[in-house]
Amino acid sequence: MRRLAELLQSKQISSTEIVRGCLERIEETEPVLNAFITVDEEGALAQAAAADRRRAAGEPLSPWDGIPLAVKDNISTSGLRTTCASRFLRNYTPIFDATVVERVKRAGLPIVGKTNLDEFAMGSSTEYSAFGVTKNPHDPLRVAGGSSGGSAAAVAAEQVPWSLGTDTGGSIRQPASFCGVVGLKPSYGRVSRYGAVALAPSLDQVGTLARKVEDAAILFSLIAGADPRDAVSAGAPGFPVPVWDDTVVRGLRVGVPEEFFSSGLNEEVEKAVKRALQNLADQGAVLQPISLPTNEYAIDTYLTLVTAEASSCLARFDGVRYGERVEAADANTMFAKSRGAGFGHEVKRRIMLGTYVLSASHYEAYYEQAQKVRTLIKQDVARAFQEVDVIVTPTTPTTAFKIGEKRNPLEMYLSDLYTATANLSGVCALSLPCGVDSQGLPIGLQIIGDHFGEELVFQVAHAVEESVGRGTGSEV
Amino acid sequence: MIDRQDVMRMARLARLELSEEEIELYQRDLNSFLVSGRKLQQVDVSKVEGTSHAVAVIGELRPDVVGESLPQEAVLGAGPQVFNGFFKVPRIVEGQE
Amino acid sequence: MKYDIVIGLEIHVALLTESKFLCSCATAFGAPPNTQCCPVCLGLPGALPLVNEQAVEYAVRAGLALNCEINHFSRFDRKNYFYPDLPKAYQITQDVFPICTNGYLEYYIDDVLRRTTITRLHLEEEAGKLVHSSGSIVDSEYSLVDYNRAGIPLIEIVTAPDITSPRQARLFLEQLRLLMLYMGVSDTKMEEGSLRCDANISLKPAGSTVLGTKVEIKNLNSFRALERALEYEAARQSRVLEQGGEIKQESRTWDERSGRTLSMRSKGDAPDYRIFPEPDLPPLRLEPDWVFRIRETLPERPLERLHRLEESYGLSRYESTFLVNYADFCQVFLELAEEGEDNTDLANLLMGDYARLAREQGHLEPQRLAGLLQILQEGLITHNQGKAVLEELFKSPLSAREIVKEKGWEVLKDPAQLKGVVQQVLTANSELVERYRGGEEKLWGFFVGQVMRTVQGKADPQMVNELLKGELTQKS
Ligand SMILES: [Mg+2]
Ligand SMILES: [Zn+2]
Repeated sequence: MRRLAELLQSKQISSTEIVRGCLERIEETEPVLNAFITVDEEGALAQAAAADRRRAAGEPLSPWDGIPLAVKDNISTSGLRTTCASRFLRNYTPIFDATVVERVKRAGLPIVGKTNLDEFAMGSSTEYSAFGVTKNPHDPLRVAGGSSGGSAAAVAAEQVPWSLGTDTGGSIRQPASFCGVVGLKPSYGRVSRYGAVALAPSLDQVGTLARKVEDAAILFSLIAGADPRDAVSAGAPGFPVPVWDDTVVRGLRVGVPEEFFSSGLNEEVEKAVKRALQNLADQGAVLQPISLPTNEYAIDTYLTLVTAEASSCLARFDGVRYGERVEAADANTMFAKSRGAGFGHEVKRRIMLGTYVLSASHYEAYYEQAQKVRTLIKQDVARAFQEVDVIVTPTTPTTAFKIGEKRNPLEMYLSDLYTATANLSGVCALSLPCGVDSQGLPIGLQIIGDHFGEELVFQVAHAVEESVGRGTGSEV
Repeated sequence: MIDRQDVMRMARLARLELSEEEIELYQRDLNSFLVSGRKLQQVDVSKVEGTSHAVAVIGELRPDVVGESLPQEAVLGAGPQVFNGFFKVPRIVEGQE
Repeated sequence: MKYDIVIGLEIHVALLTESKFLCSCATAFGAPPNTQCCPVCLGLPGALPLVNEQAVEYAVRAGLALNCEINHFSRFDRKNYFYPDLPKAYQITQDVFPICTNGYLEYYIDDVLRRTTITRLHLEEEAGKLVHSSGSIVDSEYSLVDYNRAGIPLIEIVTAPDITSPRQARLFLEQLRLLMLYMGVSDTKMEEGSLRCDANISLKPAGSTVLGTKVEIKNLNSFRALERALEYEAARQSRVLEQGGEIKQESRTWDERSGRTLSMRSKGDAPDYRIFPEPDLPPLRLEPDWVFRIRETLPERPLERLHRLEESYGLSRYESTFLVNYADFCQVFLELAEEGEDNTDLANLLMGDYARLAREQGHLEPQRLAGLLQILQEGLITHNQGKAVLEELFKSPLSAREIVKEKGWEVLKDPAQLKGVVQQVLTANSELVERYRGGEEKLWGFFVGQVMRTVQGKADPQMVNELLKGELTQKS
């Protein structure tokens, strides 16, 4: 991206040309990929033209002014349809920008379009979208991962240089891993959630996807920092783009949790991750076996909390103020019909589950219990960070699976096995490619850092990236 | 075990109209969740408080200053049914009286 | 059988903040529908709440005034239910950890000081307003929703069930209203809904400690409605019990027209609010210093003022109660009152003609009223003339002294001039003077009347008496 910025600055390329390039690439690849729900050709070109005018006047908004991005379609964009991949919101156009959108616009980044996701970010494959499945650029018979599948695929297929996603249990890192790109789930509270449509507010974070570590860091630097509109972001520091220093690896204490390398982990994935770990060790890192014993409860804890919070967050979709409405003689029937028709199966399933775990007679046994187990998980992670600087794990147990392969919802939920812990404990985590399997599918490595420890995570990721060599390109 | 009645009760609480197939589907899913969730219930949590917020931030409060509201057209703009500056909803008391 | 009545009240008080509880929309009453709304109070997808500091301060002030413990840690929760006036389909409230607990309110019932326990006081948000097409929720074809009110801060105050009569309930509520008014936290207008009360009532055999089944009464829009509804309900329940029936636990609504409570039977299940901690808001932590400052600057409470008026100004309970109930009159009183005997005169003036005129036309500037009191004290005019001057004060910008001058209402104070009149009267009635001197003392009144008539009432009666006495005795 630095090179693109230089080219822009030296007028060797214009923002309009870059955006046109994106649009052409989209036109070419979209019929196969389906990474976008909405492509805003007109808007993107207009923003690019404005960026070019600013460059011409010598007044760029930032070094990145004019470099376009894609935004996951559960992040509100003023005047640009935001569907959350739901039938219910298929005609909903927000009247305000999410804070992250406001911030990237303030840096001059044109928005090319809104990317596909699992409906309301509920899923790990972008199969549960009312707008069709997003395919993996490395193999269109496979899923791109999810829920930020569109944002990951668009970056991997070079439809856009970078994109924004959201991550509640792994929704940035898992598709990044499946598509072979870099994806960051920031520490809870580091980035404003204002305008990102909530799935589970105690876990949700907006994060960045790019092909290179540095680019993910640059985009992150544009959106990080406290926002007076998001109470839990109070006190969050901003993020200057790091000055890369690969010597940070020397003496770095790298925690390797044994639980993440046990049954269920694909052999090829294990091998690639271990190789990357060995690389780190070769550069002077100290690999330290650690234990996160409560990780085995992460998925059930996550599922309980996420469905509970989601059942409440999605209750506002009642057909009164916005969205699709199915008429009925009385209000309650209208609510039930509108929601019944507007939501897909996975959304309804999770609402049912969430309603169940919150209902009076089950609250204590399920919801409250999950909150307490969450405390144990947090304590485990905090204990680990007293001994190590970062934790390195595979991002996902397997590489991208086939579309339609996971029919059992519980099996699908297991995709978040290695990622949910970071959300539950509020720390930051990043996935980057560390190789490919025998079928050429990307393998992701996860680096987990302490709360607000993004700088170190990026430094380590950069070092890994250097040692792994060039990331895998697109096969489309 | 979650029976059909439980499913119907949840659907009613969540205002979801479900088809016959969906009722059966979710009954099955809820039950399989309960089986896997049982593991969670065996964790000893007698010595811990629940975590409801990922990080303990001090709540920053907003000064009591009036800001801009939206124009009425913008408020009503996405409304499926509007009338005279209001959102319109069908009768609230269900029709048995 | 005789029954004891057991009543507990739940009172919602709208706080007098400029902006709403969780967003910055205005709270002003009476604006056109849906013009004081924003993404937050409309519950648009992605919008997030932020707590208004002033609302917290008002809640603390109210809690302190009610002798509550102020909890330095409190937490917000979501109460989930669907209703067209509830934009997010959940209400942000405080359930498990309210901001204030365990206080009491003292008030007089027939000169006996009574105390009612306040179990808790918590912050929550108001819902929108529904307008029903036929005027009544029961038979309206459709309803209209206005979200201007949605999100106004409320405090909910819950009493222990230690109120034992409908009249006591009314007196309690009157005192509570006055307290909120004194604390400046609410305008407490029942007709605008800024003070609302629900009542729980049950009966138990006289002297028994076992509580009966309670019934909740809603829609109590005035003090009178509260008392009447409770009277009706007590009678109804006792009738049911006398006949060997059972009280059903239910919600009933007060129907003003028929003077009855009506069952609000709804089909379906008992409510299940699935309350859980609000993830969008961090818990509320109050600094002890901040609470201390509010305590130090707490305004005088009505009961304290009542006692002060009695003790420091020598007013009767009746007079003090009047002034306490009408804080504006009290302010006039306190500005003009001096320690001494004329406080009673002042109080009586305020309670009498002044009250009538001020209620119609608004208050006079206290200094203008002081001018009237002064010329009355000087004897410039008589008490009867005082009334006329008072009426003029409400009509003209002139001071009392100027009015008297302009109207020529000064009392004849020149003894020589008045002596002339007296002599004139006596001369004209020499026969009667003889009879008086002969012992017909009842003629005294006639002479006084004649003098007063001659001067058109503008004489100081005392001076007239003295002069008459002098003239009539001198020449005997
Ligand atoms: Mg309440
Ligand atoms: Zn608002």
